[in-house]
Amino acid sequence: MNIPSASLDEASIQGPTSRRHITPRTWPAEGYTRAPYWAYTDPDIYAQEQLKIFRGKTWNYVGLEAEVPEAGNFKTTFIGEQSVVLTRAEDHSLHVVVNRCAHRGNMLCRDAFGKVKKLYCVYHAWNYNLQGELTHAAFSHGLRGEGGLPADFQLSEHGLHKLRVASLCGLVFATFSDEVEPLEDWLGDVAQGIRRVLHKPLKVLGYDTQRIHANWKAYHENPRDSYHANILHTFYGTFGLSRQSQESGMTLDTHGRHVYFYTKAGTEKKSQDFDATSAALRSVNDAMQLEDPGILKWRDEFGDGVSVQILTTYPSFVLHQIANSLATRQLIPRGVGESDLVWTYFGFEDDDDALTQARLVQGNLAGSAGMISVEDAAVCEMMQRAMADGQNGESFIEMGGKTLDSGGNTKLSERAIRNFWHNYCLDMDLA
Amino acid sequence: MSPLHEQHFRAIENLIFEWARAIDENRVEAIADLLLEDGRYTVKSRFNHDRDLPMAIIDSRSAAQLRDRIKSMRIANIYEPHHYRHILSGVQIVGEQAGVLQVRSNYLVVRTMALDGDMKIISTGQCQDEVILTPSGPKFKQRLFLYDSRIIETLLVIPI
Repeated sequence: MNIPSASLDEASIQGPTSRRHITPRTWPAEGYTRAPYWAYTDPDIYAQEQLKIFRGKTWNYVGLEAEVPEAGNFKTTFIGEQSVVLTRAEDHSLHVVVNRCAHRGNMLCRDAFGKVKKLYCVYHAWNYNLQGELTHAAFSHGLRGEGGLPADFQLSEHGLHKLRVASLCGLVFATFSDEVEPLEDWLGDVAQGIRRVLHKPLKVLGYDTQRIHANWKAYHENPRDSYHANILHTFYGTFGLSRQSQESGMTLDTHGRHVYFYTKAGTEKKSQDFDATSAALRSVNDAMQLEDPGILKWRDEFGDGVSVQILTTYPSFVLHQIANSLATRQLIPRGVGESDLVWTYFGFEDDDDALTQARLVQGNLAGSAGMISVEDAAVCEMMQRAMADGQNGESFIEMGGKTLDSGGNTKLSERAIRNFWHNYCLDMDLA
Repeated sequence: MSPLHEQHFRAIENLIFEWARAIDENRVEAIADLLLEDGRYTVKSRFNHDRDLPMAIIDSRSAAQLRDRIKSMRIANIYEPHHYRHILSGVQIVGEQAGVLQVRSNYLVVRTMALDGDMKIISTGQCQDEVILTPSGPKFKQRLFLYDSRIIETLLVIPI
């Protein structure tokens, strides 16, 4: 066959990626009061986030100690897109390892939860202990003097990729970073909000995973956004679980990475401007009377009158108390336009049956079918589609003011969102 | 097969079809009439069920609670307009205890979005139902939808 050599040369230099270039990105001059829509749509930005945020200087929630109560228990989960395994070793210490054999990269754990004596790779029978150290590689000495691993091979040099692990009040976090400060220092004042809720041993009640077709940041901003809560969510305002007129507040850590909000039901402070505004809000809806309001009956189990507390840590964790419904939410990015939100519902080991049933009935309010919260996923997806290709436009984040401190502790403020983008830009080297 | 299956199959199958058709025809309120006043409607993941974890994403413990949920869907909740088509199969009466028929069936729900016409299978699984034959026809004492995937696509606001 006679093929001109020129055409072969052409084929070799015109691969599908040969002309691809990465668009240099410049953040809007206004800084953290704007979020450009390319930040939610650009695959190159997404790829950098995996490195600079999820594998960067952050502590990421991986589960509850109650999910791995006994030696040998494991849980398979994710940090960013990376599958990791949380284990409890024989000495009851907690470990988190990358879910990937150190030999040829096969996935080790295929079950969500389990109990094992060792981590075992099915491909070539490499075995690891529960701390992630390599203990055995099949046929490492070959057979009859042939094959096998080199004479200088050391088991100790081929363990699994281990992460730093720390737990607080039964929540387990892990980090790829050797530099990030210890967990409690990193959480700062926001750790108080965790200690307030998680004050005794936990009992898992179940799971709900919601697949949201939006960039992970569209969801991460949502529980930091105290402005929307009583406007979008009709259920809150109509039944008085959370209203702008009630006693409420917000706490951030000194770096502004993390935040929690609280509201105390039954503490209405009448004011003319609230009455005037709420009359126009869709969320204060007189037609919305429940036939069976028993679903909203709650016990002040922490004794401080707080009916709702929503706590968010950077970049992927939420702890909620909505009346007696308690849950963690773990945000797992699955590509630039898709995220999973894993809700883990729990109570306490010493709950009586009535309290357990109240938590389960109030489970109807939150999660993927939650009468309060279904709106959040809908809004994230509508935002993502309205951004289109993200090549123009930016969000405007000046509720409460233009600085990291402005807005103070009022919930009618986007202070916590400005602080998110401030930290995001620092981690991403964007300016 | 249980002899009860032959005797009551048509009526039970019709009850299951009525539930699905009411939802698919956007007469969702009508499903509450197929549930006994003290009946229970639950949508739970197979993942939780297999692990004996009690949490369900929908758990209406009376017809009144189901009506409240439907009302919330109609007037409170925000979501992109969509509708369902239920595909049902394998209806079997598998037993009876103290006048309560134990029924199994399979379901599959396709969701079609109103704005852009996107279609997707959003849920499939098994119904584990308890049915009582009343003078006004068969009614659900319990409807338990066990969905196979751990994942809920976006949200579940219209009951299945």
